[in-house]
Amino acid sequence: MSPGIGSWITLSAALFSIGLAGVMLRRNPLVILLSLEIMLNAGNLLLVAMARYLGNNEGHVLALVVMAVAAAEVVVGLGLIVALARRGSSLDVDDLKGLAG
Amino acid sequence: MQTVIFYLAGATCLGSALAVVMQRNPFQAALSLILNLFSLAVLFFVLQGDFVGVAQVLVYAGAVMVMFLFVIAYLGDRAHLELRRGGVGSGAAAVVGIAIFLEITISAHRSNGALSAPASVTESFGSPERIGALLLTDHLLAFEVISLLLLVGAIAGVVLGAGNLLPRQEARRPAVERGALFDLARARSELEAGEDMREVLK
Amino acid sequence: MSATTLAWIVLAAPMAGLFYNLIVGSSVSRKHATWAACASVLVSFAAAVGVLIALLQRSPDDRQLVSTGWTWLSGGQLHEGFSILVDPLSAVMLLVVSGVGFLIHAYSVGYMHGDREEKRFFAYLNLFVFSMLLLVLAGNFLILLIGWGLVGLSSYLLIGYWWERPAAVQAAKKAFVMNAIGDVGIALALFLLWGHTHSLDVLGTFSAVDSLPGSTTTWIAGLLLVGAIAKSAQLPLHTWLPDAMEGPTPVSALIHAATMVTAGVYLVARCWPIFRAAPEVSDLTALIGVATLTMAGLIALVQTDIKRVIAYSTMSQIGYMFCAVGIGATSAGMFHLVTHAFFKALLFLGAGVVIHALADEQDIRKMGGLGRYLPYTRTLMWIGALALAGVPPFAGFFSKDQILAAGLARADWVGYLVFGFGLAGAFVTALYTFRMIFIVFHGEPTSFARTHAEKHAGHGEGPFSMIWTISVLALGAVTIGFLELPGVSHAMRTFLEPVAPNALEASTSQETLASLLAVSLGVIGIGAAWLLYGRRSDAPRKVAEQTAPLESVLQRKLGFDELYDWAFHRPAVALARGGARAWEGPVVTGSMDLVGATGGWLSRVLGAGQSGLVRVYALVLALGLAALAAWFMAGAS
Repeated sequence: MSPGIGSWITLSAALFSIGLAGVMLRRNPLVILLSLEIMLNAGNLLLVAMARYLGNNEGHVLALVVMAVAAAEVVVGLGLIVALARRGSSLDVDDLKGLAG
Repeated sequence: MQTVIFYLAGATCLGSALAVVMQRNPFQAALSLILNLFSLAVLFFVLQGDFVGVAQVLVYAGAVMVMFLFVIAYLGDRAHLELRRGGVGSGAAAVVGIAIFLEITISAHRSNGALSAPASVTESFGSPERIGALLLTDHLLAFEVISLLLLVGAIAGVVLGAGNLLPRQEARRPAVERGALFDLARARSELEAGEDMREVLK
Repeated sequence: MSATTLAWIVLAAPMAGLFYNLIVGSSVSRKHATWAACASVLVSFAAAVGVLIALLQRSPDDRQLVSTGWTWLSGGQLHEGFSILVDPLSAVMLLVVSGVGFLIHAYSVGYMHGDREEKRFFAYLNLFVFSMLLLVLAGNFLILLIGWGLVGLSSYLLIGYWWERPAAVQAAKKAFVMNAIGDVGIALALFLLWGHTHSLDVLGTFSAVDSLPGSTTTWIAGLLLVGAIAKSAQLPLHTWLPDAMEGPTPVSALIHAATMVTAGVYLVARCWPIFRAAPEVSDLTALIGVATLTMAGLIALVQTDIKRVIAYSTMSQIGYMFCAVGIGATSAGMFHLVTHAFFKALLFLGAGVVIHALADEQDIRKMGGLGRYLPYTRTLMWIGALALAGVPPFAGFFSKDQILAAGLARADWVGYLVFGFGLAGAFVTALYTFRMIFIVFHGEPTSFARTHAEKHAGHGEGPFSMIWTISVLALGAVTIGFLELPGVSHAMRTFLEPVAPNALEASTSQETLASLLAVSLGVIGIGAAWLLYGRRSDAPRKVAEQTAPLESVLQRKLGFDELYDWAFHRPAVALARGGARAWEGPVVTGSMDLVGATGGWLSRVLGAGQSGLVRVYALVLALGLAALAAWFMAGAS
């Protein structure tokens, strides 16, 4: 851990950006969810790194909370996808334009 | 030593993340995400976040990703459809992603050198005892709320996944006739007028 | 009541009539509205008589009264009030305008009966009478210009009264545009006047005229002359008058015979100090008068429309008036104006009776022998024609001979030109006038005339309102002349002396010589007309064959219309079209379109943000995040 906090921030930022790009660019809702997970994990990484560098365990607690929230969110998201699939809608985010206008 | 692991794990992390974002096949994307999660766990261990690392492997990689894989398996062929790249705003999206990355790194490296070295911690930093104590004393509210959240999530999952919860006879009637969620008469007249179902659902 | 109060009444009455017509006209009966209009002008005439009496009660030196209503325009050094000038000259004009105006209002009750929009006609007539009175009563040049412009407007409205006829609309536009040229002339003259004297009062500027340099006075007078020429239809701004005959006959009688076209003469008479101080311009006035009276008389010889004959006759007679005021015989010109108003209006209105009887036919070649069916009208038309030809004891004799005598008295080349051409004009006038009379009223009736006239048999010659009014005019044509009986009374001249003096006095011998020559030429002209046209012989055709080239030139009115078309109209139209294509289309409309297009483009762009695509919404979120982060970074650094 000779690299300062800067390297950890950079790594976290890179992961976050990759996840963000995935959310904005992919059209398959499953992959969007996966990218969302990457973003959440990037945040977790940063939390844990800061906890280590500050010597404070509360970062770990928050990381656990985030993990739980992520899990719940994935449940709902996958449920939506399954419901969509059962209804027969296309699984292409660009086609789900009901909120247009 | 730890630097080496950091770089190795970091590289795997980034590589697998890229793979998730760029893979066509969602199944392979999910598998790449699992690899990502594992490398993240390694990084957590490097950071002496033992409990979090274990939780990552057990909960995230173990449960959440398995759920993902179940759904992908359920969807089968329907999951895999991405015939064209690009679409609205993809150039801008790439630019924005790079911009955010640059902003974060630049602002991080502009700092005045604080936290250049990790604080000194005891052996039990990040151990289950410490985390558990925190969860049950200082952060009890958060703990309870998360439990509630997980309960809600479970119910949501069941409701969304179960589909029709009505008796079989009823379930055969189209959702429109069951009057589910909207004005029955208007929907009927619009359907009779030949409107697209999606228009009706608006 | 004082003269000025009465003068205000004279001015206000037709305006009140106009407003009454505007406000209640649509809800009252036709009879009510038209009689109210006539009544307002009658009130005006009564007040004008009152003004005359009030003025006569004062001593001759004390007859110039100015009354200012209120300060109308005030800014910097300009302080002009709404002021009227009551003096013998304006009193004479008031009587003519309101008197003849009243008679023509009454005539129109009969003539315009059955027209769809009669009340509009009377409203316009009231507006015209008001404008003309305003012009005549103006105490400062600004008010005069307003009256001038309003008269032009009324003329436009009345010529184009039957607006469904394209020819009428064209004629109205032509009249208005040519009058506008005159308006510009007057306005420029006023600018010069103001610039040098800092006052626009009529009386005030006259006293200042002597102190101005000669060239300035010449310019002012010249520009005023331009205005006078345009309004009075003299060469070269005369082409609008024949076309103005598209308007109803009462309009032609009132505006284009008795009053509006005489406004130019009035202007020159009123501004005599300015013209006297610019001798070259005065000579030019007289020369223009000479040219016009000759040209118009010749053209009248070949006209086939009864109203156009009389229109060219008007042009010619006004030429006489211009000669008079140009050589300095101002009161002679005014006297001719008064007598001309009577007999010319009589001729026009009599022609109106003929036209009315023949269901709006105006071509004299289709008329003939109407004297059998319209005997009273024929008699009255004879009176008018004799007055026009200058035969004693009718009015025209006295006034025309005064002008000729003044030309002799002037005794220089201008005066002799006036005398010579005036005499020739007398011959031509008699010729064309009686040509018209003989063709229309004498000889064998044409079949056209017969069918129409027999339809009217037993109904009298026309509506009563038309008959009594032309009778009054005929009476005037007979008697007015006696105001200036040589050797007996010089009522008009002495009355006008303080305000419109004559620069020259013709001796009795000159007057006698002029009268003898003029009368004999007039009688010869009548005789020639009788020979050619009175007996329906072959003679006209033979004469026409001999003079065919001359006749075609005359029939094309000496080509002025074509000249103006090529010199002014076509370039203007080309400029307008080019301007529309190059400027109005791309720039004006284009900028408007651009505004609209921008709105559309903006909405399209912004609408892309409401696409309903989740990815776009995510992109927008990320964009916001990036922007916020950048802002914080910029703020922190």
